[in-house]
Amino acid sequence: MDNRLEQDALIEGALKTQPLASLPRNITASVMDRIHQEKRSVLVTWHDLAVALVIALSVGALAITAQSLPPVALAKLRIQGILLYQDFLVNADWLVPGLLFSGAALLSALTIRSLIQIAGKQTEQ
Amino acid sequence: MSTSEPILIQRAQKGDPDAFAALVNEHQRYVYNLALRVVKDENEALDLAQETFVRAWTALPNFKGQSQFRTWLYRIVTNLCYNRLPNLRRSLNDLGDDVMEEIPEPRQDTPAQAYESNETKAFLQQAIENLDAHYQLLITLRYQNELSYDEIASTLNLPLGTVKTGIFRAKEQLRRSLAQLEESWITV
Repeated sequence: MDNRLEQDALIEGALKTQPLASLPRNITASVMDRIHQEKRSVLVTWHDLAVALVIALSVGALAITAQSLPPVALAKLRIQGILLYQDFLVNADWLVPGLLFSGAALLSALTIRSLIQIAGKQTEQ
Repeated sequence: MSTSEPILIQRAQKGDPDAFAALVNEHQRYVYNLALRVVKDENEALDLAQETFVRAWTALPNFKGQSQFRTWLYRIVTNLCYNRLPNLRRSLNDLGDDVMEEIPEPRQDTPAQAYESNETKAFLQQAIENLDAHYQLLITLRYQNELSYDEIASTLNLPLGTVKTGIFRAKEQLRRSLAQLEESWITV
């Protein structure tokens, strides 16, 4: 038991006196450089505003165009839409495999990169 | 540094880069050391330390002072370590909290004469360095960053029992290594 207490004291001593690793270089300057480059994130960025503006303009333009079209053209468009829909319903052989393939491609794109990263980390370890 | 930390934090929250630079200066060595103990690679640890402070700057407006600034930094660096080592989080969670024995308080009156022996000292330091990443994380937070068990549990978002179990097992591992060393002395 004495031996165990002595071992505890040794281990405690070693843990407490373990030296702090010294920094290879001061990182303050590089951190501050990066901070100056990366502005703090805000809830809405200029990029978001620009995208919102483009979407709003597109919707507005579509609405104005639809209103200013002659009734005959609108009716033709509606008929073409119905025909297209019917065509989908009748000739949809390619639709299901196409959707499956697209889904598989999307899933692969989302997972392959992270799988490669995980594999890389495991080989590093 | 003449200005106190809470004032520096307030100034940094308002966007004062000089105040934040002072905070980086103050804490960088501890953050780097923690990252190094876990990832065991100088360059990677340096990257993680830098990334920690950049993220801290970005998130600083949300820092409400509910925890200490340093424990908040340790939480950020730990999360970055989790990203680098996907098994780290799992290893910590797998520790459970079934520690049967209370962690012994360090005995002030025990003469650690053997520790004077350079061989034992070097052996134990090496054994500490060889501990697994999850044990390194717990041991470093406890002994080098001097956090209490509660603070470690809060920093790592783990139950208190799991923290105690982890530190207990790390010491057990060191004790086994030490016993092997002593046996090798006897057999020689």
